[in-house]
Amino acid sequence: MTTKKENAKRLGIFLLTVFAFMLIFVLCIKPMNASNTVFYIIYMIFSFSPAIASLIARAVTKEGFRDMKLHLNLSGNFKWYLLAFGLPLICFSAKFLLPVIISGHTDWLSGFTTQNILSSVFMLAALTAVQSIGLIGEELGWRGYMNQKIEPLLGTVGTCIVGGIVWGLWHLPMDIAGCEGAMSDAFAMCGGRMIQLTLFGVFLMWLTKKTDSVFPAVIGHYMFNESQGALANLLYQGSIPENADLGVIADVFEYLPMIVVAAVFMIMLFHDNSRTPKTA
Amino acid sequence: MTGLVYKEWKQNRWFILSMILCGALPTVFLFEKDIIGDINTVRTFGTICAFLVAGGLQTMVLRGDDRKLWGYWITSTSGGCKGFLRVKYEMVFCMVVLFMFSLQMFDGLLCAATFDIGTTEIKDLSNISVPLIFVQLLLRAIDTPFTLRYGNKKGSLIKLIYSLVFTIIISVMILTNFCNFSVALFETAEKLFSGDNLSMVFVVFSVSVLVIYYLSYRISCRIYLKGVEQYDH
Repeated sequence: MTTKKENAKRLGIFLLTVFAFMLIFVLCIKPMNASNTVFYIIYMIFSFSPAIASLIARAVTKEGFRDMKLHLNLSGNFKWYLLAFGLPLICFSAKFLLPVIISGHTDWLSGFTTQNILSSVFMLAALTAVQSIGLIGEELGWRGYMNQKIEPLLGTVGTCIVGGIVWGLWHLPMDIAGCEGAMSDAFAMCGGRMIQLTLFGVFLMWLTKKTDSVFPAVIGHYMFNESQGALANLLYQGSIPENADLGVIADVFEYLPMIVVAAVFMIMLFHDNSRTPKTA
Repeated sequence: MTGLVYKEWKQNRWFILSMILCGALPTVFLFEKDIIGDINTVRTFGTICAFLVAGGLQTMVLRGDDRKLWGYWITSTSGGCKGFLRVKYEMVFCMVVLFMFSLQMFDGLLCAATFDIGTTEIKDLSNISVPLIFVQLLLRAIDTPFTLRYGNKKGSLIKLIYSLVFTIIISVMILTNFCNFSVALFETAEKLFSGDNLSMVFVVFSVSVLVIYYLSYRISCRIYLKGVEQYDH
């Protein structure tokens, strides 16, 4: 049985390593801006830093490399893989389309033809199967290690909140690099993303616990990134006026679908936890 | 199941890891840039070569298990031959995905490096590599049942015979215009590959390949024991 102290030590080493990578990224921004090659190499290493940190923590604390949740566990769990694919798509469809529909601008959605929708969904399905694997660099660390260590210390709600904040903060160096020094823009971007990631993290945590594998979370994460682009692409094909502004309704739907998802899966996490037999 | 994954890793780890090197193969062709031409041609040529080499290495992991004793033994285990075949199919799929990831990673590095030395006309290679990866998956979906049913050597030969017979039949049908076949084929192709339909054809093909890959696994499960009875040793 792992004690809370051991868990805290392992989590501490993991977080220290992750933040060390963040520090290196921030310190290297100058050479990165000077050379595309340097930028690419550091960016690639950084995007795998959660996985690397989890491996380092496992090695340093002599925890071993068991229970890394690297089995696909497809039998009986295929429906959860499909959910990992479909839910982010539904969520972002609600975020982008509902404000347009509610405010009576359905004529803006002329890009959403049956052929375009099917083409985008099938393309996302095909690409998810062959291209999502790169995100294991993040999920192996966040869902495969960090959440497992935080949960015994802070409980389920604490894990979702703290895990989401860490996950969101980890993106800050990329935002700083992307905003080319405009720190206020970088912090605003990071803050908005942190809320989204904290809410979406609840779903990914539930998926990982349900399937005992990080791969559904990898798919969910990939769809979180790609479905926004696919939907935006379809929106741009429509006839949206340049000065289009949906006002407060767009702000409401910015977070509402994610809040609903987070609430539903938080309840399901509690439900699953209550059914798990307690060990001494 | 962990045991089977471990067995596949011990047996085929060099083939699995070689997928990373295959992804780096297009960068090697940069040294031959003067012979082949401009950077985009080198990348395209290198990518196609990498696919051929990776495809060859992926088929190697099917070798070594075409033995009677192994076939009967694995069928008698709790997971049965289905578990064994599932791990085999998952491993080949992972190899294809690893190759794709490595290819894109090294190509990204190549693009960044060439951009640094002043070349700005860099094409996006994903319109070549993504379709090719699905073709590769389709080929593995066809290869595997043949190898399992007839053994490695005989399986390759029988697959070749089937492919030749299929090609000859189609060629004869086109040449003799049997039942207006060549006209119908041409018209269908013209409709499919024109304008808006092109992307739809590609996405339907990609998703179909994934379904075919799964069906290939189901077929392999059905024919595996028949194949085992015919293995030489």
